Formats: sequence, structure tokens, C-alpha cells
Amino acid sequence: MKGIVFVKFNEFVEELWGEEFWDTLLDEAQLSSEGIYTTVGTYDDEELFTLIGLVVEQKNISPKDAQFAFGKWVFKELLNAAPAGAHNFKDVFEFLHAVQDFIHVEVKKLNPDALLPEFEFLSETPNTLTFLYQSPRNLCYFCEGIVHGLAEHTGQTVEVSQTECQHQGDSRCVMEVVKV
Amino acid sequence: MTLSKEELEKRVSVLERKALREKKARQLAENQLEKYSLDIYEANQSLKAALAGSEQKQLELEYLAHTSSAVASEIPLREMVSNIVDLTGEFCCARYGLFVISEEGQWLTEKTPKVWISEQGWQENNAIKEFVTDLLPVSNNDLLASWRSAEIKNNELNESAPLNSIFYTNVAWSGKKIGWLAFLSQEAELNQDLEVILNTSKEHLVSGVRRRLTDIRILQRNVQLQDSISSLEKARRQLIQSEKMASLGQLAAGVAHEINNPIAFIRSNLEVLQDYLHDYKKLTSEVQTNLTEQTTLDTSQFSEMCKKIDLDYIEEDSEDLLKSNIEGLDRVKEIVDNLKGFSHAGDEALVATSLNNCIQSALKIAGNMFKYEHKVINNISAECPPVLGNSGQLQQVFVNLFVNAAHAMEKGGVLTIDYTHIKEGVVLHIQDTGCGMDKETVNQLFTPFFTTKPVGIGTGLGLSVSYAILEAHGAQVSVDSQLNLGTTFHIKFPTID
Ligand code: HEM
Repeated sequence: MKGIVFVKFNEFVEELWGEEFWDTLLDEAQLSSEGIYTTVGTYDDEELFTLIGLVVEQKNISPKDAQFAFGKWVFKELLNAAPAGAHNFKDVFEFLHAVQDFIHVEVKKLNPDALLPEFEFLSETPNTLTFLYQSPRNLCYFCEGIVHGLAEHTGQTVEVSQTECQHQGDSRCVMEVVKV
Repeated sequence: MTLSKEELEKRVSVLERKALREKKARQLAENQLEKYSLDIYEANQSLKAALAGSEQKQLELEYLAHTSSAVASEIPLREMVSNIVDLTGEFCCARYGLFVISEEGQWLTEKTPKVWISEQGWQENNAIKEFVTDLLPVSNNDLLASWRSAEIKNNELNESAPLNSIFYTNVAWSGKKIGWLAFLSQEAELNQDLEVILNTSKEHLVSGVRRRLTDIRILQRNVQLQDSISSLEKARRQLIQSEKMASLGQLAAGVAHEINNPIAFIRSNLEVLQDYLHDYKKLTSEVQTNLTEQTTLDTSQFSEMCKKIDLDYIEEDSEDLLKSNIEGLDRVKEIVDNLKGFSHAGDEALVATSLNNCIQSALKIAGNMFKYEHKVINNISAECPPVLGNSGQLQQVFVNLFVNAAHAMEKGGVLTIDYTHIKEGVVLHIQDTGCGMDKETVNQLFTPFFTTKPVGIGTGLGLSVSYAILEAHGAQVSVDSQLNLGTTFHIKFPTID
């Protein structure tokens, strides 16, 4: 996973629970990177899962809520790092298409070692968009969170749910975004 | 909010660790940046190298394309090799290049001892030429499989920048000759990549030279063939001519008779005329005597004298005799003219020709073969359309056919000459009522040296020569023959378009 995700997770945790909490997380996690993250580096996915796991344990929240919250929070951060064209999109659906067709593509160009999720759009009406979330990392809750963050950015209100989810024993994760 | 000392210490150490992590992270990031710029630098370098490589490849491809198209072109061999020297010198950045030919270990002297010079083209330069030819292993007389290069010392050449190497190769030339390509260069040695390319173009050159030399050989063979064709053609003409002379020989007896006849009657006419002249002289001297003795001569006396020698008849007959003599001489002249025309070799051009005229003159020449027991019916008229032909040769054919017909009708018979005008041309029919031929003879009729005639009569070439002549006229010959009934030759001539 790219360093930006770790750096932002660090900021997210410190913002919520303070530097000391982050310090103890690192102390407990015993990561091979020692928590020294830079946005230009790439780090083991497991470190992120370990850190999230520890937050979940210590703050007594569900993994889903943790991922969701981080996703929702991180969107604006990702947008800052996004290629200039990303700011032109004023609609959630439009933006989601652009992520698949353009934004993640640009990300991949800059970071050839990035592993980005694949979205397969299944259906679309003016108010409802469904798409398949495909990634070996299974960060579908994180994805839900990002979509919420995105809606905040565009000033729209959406409901995000999964009609199918691998965490619920389904064979795939289908996201449904409804404008309300 | 005040913190306890413990809490403060803890806070400080958290921040210290954070600061340390930040510092390390910065270091990591900086290292990463350096690594990136190094990567970029290296990528740049390898791009540049790739670009240079592809430019070189481009040059190599261009060089190979140019050399192989020069080799494949139809420009003369020497010019082609000069082109190759040009292209190769340019491609290898050589300063001098040349092409020389050796035979059995010796250099052949060139008419124009030119040398290719970088940026100047072909110039005379004996110093370079000698310098290079001295370096080449000409005495080995071996064909080199690839290019060779060697270091050289050349203080004596007075070059502004030193020449450091020579590279050369050779190819099989015509006969035992060997063609050498050599270049002088500033480079210390021939670069390996370049050598691979040069060897490829050398292979092209070798096969190109071989192809051209075979082309030249084929050309020479063609010339030889052309020569033998024209000598065959000459022989054929001679054959036609000698066959004609041979048939003249056969005709000689008849022709002699033809000439003898008028000469004989001219002679006896002259004898009679001589007698008449004698009588006439007698008359004039009698008139003379009479006039001297009696000084007068009366009419009755004179008519008496005239009557005595039958002067009226003499005068009348003399006129007849002279007329007949002139006619006789005309006949002789005509025969001689015909013979002359017939024996004349003439050219072979085909022009619009009247079959009627040809048949008539052939009949004049061969006519005396037909005696009183023969009848000749000639139905050819001036209406018979002209054909593309050579009248001398056609006459020869007809004479030959008439002589054969006469021979076939020893005991007499009828020769009928006729024609039919058909869409595609004219068919002549020459029919005799002679002894005819069996199938086998008909089949062999046009075979050279086949003859049914006894030794000494005919060459056995007559009909085969006639056949060749007719073939050259685009005419088709067919023969109908029945034993004891006679033979008809049908000769179809194409019409003139
Ligand atoms: C604002 C522009 C965006 C940028 C610049 C961006 C960039 C990135 C980057 C750098 C990663 C890390 C990939 C790796 O380290 O292998 C990532 C992962 C991810 N992105 Fe985006 N992203 C953007 C928008 C979005 C949006 C709108 C969505 C929601 C649909 C999204 C969904 C995800 C998910 C779910 C991952 C986690 C990796 C995974 O599931 O395999 N991204 N993105």
C-alpha cells in the first residue's frame, strides 16, 4: 500500500485520539517500518491492517466503522493529492466513473507499484448507481466511507450500501449509491 | 490544564519519538527522491543510448537497403561496385575507399585509377592507390569470407589527421580475377557491429556480382547463338541457291534445246538470205553490164532479169526470214533473261507478288520439259490475287514442281495449274496425271535428301527446299496423290492484310 494511506491514517488517528495514542499503537504493533511513513514510500498492507486492528480493539469499535470513518475522512486528503482534473467533477456518479477511468489511472502512472481497486459499473439511473468493488484487499467498507467523503465534497447527500458483500458471505461486493 | 511532571515527561518522549520518526521519514523520503532522480538519470541515459542505437540501426538499415538496391539494379557492374564503395565509405566514415582487380596475384592496371575520397567523391590519387594495393594480400589469391582490418602506419602519406586502419575484403570477379574493396579509416579498428553489417552487404555484393557475371555469360552465349543462327541462315540461303543451280543443271539440256532451236532456224534463214543476196548481186551486175553495153535498159528487159532470179519472192521471203530471225533472237534473249532472273540469288524480302507472273516465268524456264505428248493447261490469270512473297524463290518452287511433274509424266500427260480464291487466302493447285506416289513416298516427300529419282538426277533436296521456302512464306502445302493417276499439290498462301 502506498505511503499516503499510512501517513493519512496516522494523521486521522492523531486527529481523533492524539499523538500519544498513535505512539502506543506503534509501540504495540511492532511494525517492521517502525511507523516511519513517507508518502513516497510503499509499505506492507499488513501494517495497515494491524494498526486498524489495534484501533478497533482499543477503541472498541467495529472494523467496519473504523474503515468507514477513515474512508470518509481521507477523501478530502486524497483529493488534495489528486491530479488537477479531479476537481472538475461536481457529481458523485460522475466522479466515481472518473476514478475508474481517469483518477486511479493517473495514480497508477505516478506510482506503478500502487494496487488500485477495479470498479465495474453494473447499473445506473439518475439517482442510483451500482458498481462492483474488486480488490484483493477487500476494503469495501473503506470504499463506502470514501464515497461518503466524496458526497460531502460535492455537496450531495447519498446513501451507500452493499447489496452483496464478501464479508457477508457473498462472492462479491456490490456497492449501491443512492442520491437522496 | 497543567500536566504532572510524569505526564510531561511522557508527552515529551512521545513527541521526541514522533520527531525522530519524522526525521527518519524525511531521510527516507530524501533517499527515495535521490533514488528517483538516479532512476530518472539512468532512464535518460538508457533512452539516449537506445536513441543512438536506433539511429545507428537506422543508418545500418539505410546502408543495407541502398547497397542491396544497388546490387539488384541493372546499372553496369563497375558502376554498381563504385556505388558500393561510395556507400560503404560513407557508412563507415572512412577517408578513402577504392576498388581494384587482381588476377593470379597481380594487380591489373586500370584505365582510370580513381579513388573514393570522403566528402570529395572519386578522384585520381595514385599515392593512396599504391599505398593500399601494397597493403592488400594480393599474392594469397584467396577469396576472403568476410572483412579484414589491420592497423596501419602511414607517415609517408602526409595526412592532416592520421589514418589508423585499413579494412578490406574481396569478391570473385570474372574468370580468375578477384575484385578488392578497401578503405582507409581514422578509426583504430573496425567496430564489431559495423563488421556484421559490412559482412551482410558483402554477401549481397558477392551474389550480385555472380548474378551479373552469369548475365554477361548468358549475353555472350546469346551472341554466339545469334552468330550460329546467322551462319545457319547463310547456309540455308546457300542451300536454296545451290539447289536452284542444281535444278538449272537439270533444265540445262532442255534450255539448250530451247536456245538451239531458234539458233538453228536463224542460221538456216541466214543461209537462205545469203543465197538471196547472191542472186541480188547477180541481178545488179547484170543490170550494170547491160547498161554499159547498151547504155539503156528497158523495163521489159529489167523485169525479165528480175523474173529470172524471182526477185519478188526473194524480197517477200527476205522480210519473212528477217522477221523470223528477230523473233528467234527475242526468244533466245527471253530465255536467257529468265535464266538470269532465276539464277540470281536476290534478297529475301517478301513483297506483294503476282502468282500469275511467277507461274508464267517458271513455265518459260521449265516449259521445255514438256514435250508434244504433254499438255500444259494454265488457268491462272491476272485476276489471281497477289500474295506476300519473293518472286525469285516462288519461281524456284514452281520450277521444281513442274520439273517433278514432267518427270512423273514420262509417257505424256496433262499438267493443270489452277487456283481457288478463299477467305483466308489463295490456294494454288498444281496437278499432273503422272505416275503418282504411294503413301510412304508422300510422307517422306519433304524430307531432305529423299528422292525417288535415280542417282545423278536431282539432289533429293528440291522439295525440302521448296517446302522451307513455302514455310517462310507462311504457306501451307498438302499433297493428294494416287498411284498411276497423278499428284496434286495444294499450296495455300495467306492473303495480304
Ligand atoms: C480523489 C481522488 C482519488 C485519489 C487521488 C485516489 C488515490 C488512491 C491511492 C493512491 C490509493 C492507494 C493504492 C495503493 O497504495 O495501492 C487508493 C486506494 C483506494 N481508492 Fe482511491 N483515490 C481517489 C478517489 C477514490 C474514490 C472516490 C474511491 C471510492 C469509490 C476510491 C476508492 C479506493 C479504495 C477502495 C482504495 C483501497 C485500495 C483497495 O481497495 O485495493 N478512491 N486510492
